[in-house]
Amino acid sequence: MAKVLEGPGMSLLIKWGMKVPNHVVVTSVEQLYHLASANAWLNDKRLVAKAHEAIGGRFKLGLVKVDLDLKGAEKAVKEILGHKVGTMTISQVIISEMIHHEVEYYLAVKSTREGADVLMANFGGIEVESRWNDIKRMFVEIGKSPSVEELEELARTAGFKADLAGQVAQFARKLYECYDREDGQYLEINPLSVTEDGELIALDMVTMLDADARFRHPDWNFTFASEFGRPYTEDEQEIMEIDSRIKGSVKFIEIPGGSIALLPAGGGASVYYADAIVAQGGKIANYAEYSGDPPDWAVEALTERVCSLPDIKHVIVGGAIANFTNVKKTFAGIIAGFRNVRLKGKLKDVHIWVRRGGPYEKEGLAAMRALEQEGFKIHVYDRHTPLTDVVDYALKEK
Amino acid sequence: MSIVADENTRVVIQGGPAGGNAARRMAEFSYLIKKPFNVRAFVFPPDAGKTVDIPYGSETLVLPIFVTVQEAVKAYPDINTSLVYIAPNRALESAMEALKSDKINLVSMITEGVTEKDAKILAHEAKRLGKVYNGPSSIGIFSAGKCRLGVVGGSYENLILSKLYRPGSFGVITKSGGLLNEIIWICSQFADGVTTAVGIGGDAYPGTDYVSYLEMFENDPETRAVVIVGEMGGNLEERAAEWYGAKKRRIKLLAVVSGFCQEVLPKGMKFGHAGAKEGTRGEGSARNKSESLKKAGAIVPQTFGALGPAIKQTYEELLAKGVIKPAKEISAEQLPKWPKSIDEAIKNGEVMVQPLFKSTICDDRGDEPVYGGYAASDLINKGYDIPHVIAMLWTKRLISDQEAELIKRIIMLSADHGPCVSGALATILAACADIPMAQAVASGITMIGPRFGGAVTDAGRWFKFAVESRMNVEEFLAYMKTNVGPVPGIGHRVKSIHNPDKRVKELVGFAKSLGRPLPHLEFALEVEKITTTKKENLILNVDGTIAVILLDLGFPVESLNGFFILARTIGLIGHWIDQKQQGARLIRLHPYLARYATEPKQEVPPIEKSVEV
Repeated sequence: MAKVLEGPGMSLLIKWGMKVPNHVVVTSVEQLYHLASANAWLNDKRLVAKAHEAIGGRFKLGLVKVDLDLKGAEKAVKEILGHKVGTMTISQVIISEMIHHEVEYYLAVKSTREGADVLMANFGGIEVESRWNDIKRMFVEIGKSPSVEELEELARTAGFKADLAGQVAQFARKLYECYDREDGQYLEINPLSVTEDGELIALDMVTMLDADARFRHPDWNFTFASEFGRPYTEDEQEIMEIDSRIKGSVKFIEIPGGSIALLPAGGGASVYYADAIVAQGGKIANYAEYSGDPPDWAVEALTERVCSLPDIKHVIVGGAIANFTNVKKTFAGIIAGFRNVRLKGKLKDVHIWVRRGGPYEKEGLAAMRALEQEGFKIHVYDRHTPLTDVVDYALKEK
Repeated sequence: MSIVADENTRVVIQGGPAGGNAARRMAEFSYLIKKPFNVRAFVFPPDAGKTVDIPYGSETLVLPIFVTVQEAVKAYPDINTSLVYIAPNRALESAMEALKSDKINLVSMITEGVTEKDAKILAHEAKRLGKVYNGPSSIGIFSAGKCRLGVVGGSYENLILSKLYRPGSFGVITKSGGLLNEIIWICSQFADGVTTAVGIGGDAYPGTDYVSYLEMFENDPETRAVVIVGEMGGNLEERAAEWYGAKKRRIKLLAVVSGFCQEVLPKGMKFGHAGAKEGTRGEGSARNKSESLKKAGAIVPQTFGALGPAIKQTYEELLAKGVIKPAKEISAEQLPKWPKSIDEAIKNGEVMVQPLFKSTICDDRGDEPVYGGYAASDLINKGYDIPHVIAMLWTKRLISDQEAELIKRIIMLSADHGPCVSGALATILAACADIPMAQAVASGITMIGPRFGGAVTDAGRWFKFAVESRMNVEEFLAYMKTNVGPVPGIGHRVKSIHNPDKRVKELVGFAKSLGRPLPHLEFALEVEKITTTKKENLILNVDGTIAVILLDLGFPVESLNGFFILARTIGLIGHWIDQKQQGARLIRLHPYLARYATEPKQEVPPIEKSVEV
């Protein structure tokens, strides 16, 4: 799943005819001045300012400021921009109109294996979590589309009365359309509310789209946000950038505080390596994976990132028996990476554990073994050693 | 027996180069089990009409490429399976085309990055039609001893190591391609191998899930146990557990699930496959899946490493009960060997090759050219020059500084002779006709022959003959007169004894100053003394001079024209560049420069009819 930040998420709702609060995304105070001269609401209405980044717990971090006038918003933008959270610096602030509201509803469309579920409730906000089982659900088969009548029926079941049921159905119909046409995976509006003029309005939302569908959405002018409560680091972004332009794949996510670095092959095997480390009480320093016979330079770049992680004691170069990934070539990339980082004083006292099979496994493993003569603390095993046993060996080597 | 794919499976591959690679792997397997190749054709509109070469042992099979699945199926009515390697943006329509063909009942999609929506549509359609849609992101399907679909199974060597040439008793279903291959290997080491191994792909919504395949395995008498490799995310493992627990099943079920690490990792951290996501508790988590499977009666080892021993135990129990009979082992000698490439065989010293020709001057197999044993960079660093390289490549000799100087002068003096001589004129004509450099210069070089610049070799040949046969000048001239004609290298159109050729004077002077024996030059100068008494312009010309000096330096006769060709190429390139830079236009002769001596114009008679005899 790929998460979309609030700004572009709201733009998608607007595109499909749903009402959202007025909002602007700014990267400087000057920008806010300029926008204020063209947007009356920024001057007349009460405002909310939030850091527009993939950070969890923004409220607690003081990165959400409410009930502001324009002056207050300017002050908030100044405070929030440039604020550091971990390794990242906040570069965008979203300013939106604060909507006074009395009611909160819930509306969502969720992709399922056979189609999609439309979820609806005449309550919303934080109540949703405690009353999850009271939410009404309607299944829509793949290729079908729910009619307004069906949705109105659902709205009535969910407790919406008279005209409101029709209005909610209309809104849900638009949300479904948005989900269907924008390759949505999960669209959630919580709370859905009513303006003073009696119009339904989406006050807050979660937007998850299928990143693989980008090829048919040339208007997706946003990048996807990370989903684990912090933005991507520079190294992670560099590997993602490489990943996007090669045959095969390379993946890299940092997990601060760990001492065991992962450099395994395969989307499936890599998770078993992570599991094995955790099961042995070890702490992983990262997640990484390369697969699909990627070019050796990409594996080399990945190796350099992995081996540059701070305070690592072991590097696990694991992998199953490859089907078509050339072990000799990908290992050549890893070996080049090892040598490069060692020139920068890294990998000292770090043990490297290798287990692998596949095309040209003999040559690849022999090249790894030869690194011992260059002074690397390397331990090499072939297909006869079970997949994750190297992790056990590593963690016994204290 | 096996499931989904067997000895009757006949395949069309939808896709380009990736499909071709898979086909090559599949042909290796067909060859291993001594069965005809199971792929019939390709469908790939950009290359339609072309063919794909597939090595099958030492033979090469040639497969057609069609525009549509319909065409392929019409040409090969036994096709019943499609493998899809088409890029994500066209994967839906390609697979749909295959699903809609009456003949095709299995579509396996290898393409990665297919949108969830497209995958769901395909799964829905396949279900409606009662067909199997496997994937996307599937590594393939392998029925041991019967059928390979895709690259699954890896290298030829691995097919043998994992005993894929004969069926075993274990079914395998995984999302991961690498782990499918790993489990196949484990089953061959800890048990008797696999019946069918299916990669369902690691996406969120695999077209066919564990349950569907479990049902098929349950109905396949040869499959006694099934190994599932699960992952966190989604609920397919839970559905498999439900299926297994629902009633007494014939097959044993073994399973491992990955993703326990998520319990200690930051929430939302996305690992591995697209489908491996969400949930650290409740449905979707590794723990829940693992517990569900255990409760349903499956054997669920704690770690992946414990899977091998668990498989072994299951196998031994089934063996003890007599459910499984020990597999008949095939010895390695009975299996065909995949022929080695000639490169590989030579590298291993296994074959002797009769080379097409022998080369003695330059070796380019290292990281730089080596001329007659000397590395080019070494020659440069030690101060050697172009003439040394020429001598090394033409006579395999490291010449002295003096000799190099002579060669240099010969080249400098012969580099060009103005635009009007045959060679330059030909190049200029070509340049003006906008002919590229290589061809224009070559057309100048083709002018070099007996009448233009080609006298060097001829002169060398006869002077060498004279010196070697120890003739005196009179004997030589008499011989030439009787047997050859004018002496090559003697005589000039404009120069004479009173108007000597300055180039000749230069070369002779320098050669003589070197203080080395010059028998050919001396002989030629003796000849000139006699011939000039007969006619003033019968001087030793520049071709003759170059020839005798080079002979005295030890150059073989065959090489002599090379100096003229080499030197004059410098001038010809110059003429070409010169014309280009001037933007010269096409040259056409004025008619008055040609004398037209043709027949007068007359009426064309009718074509003469052949007469029947």
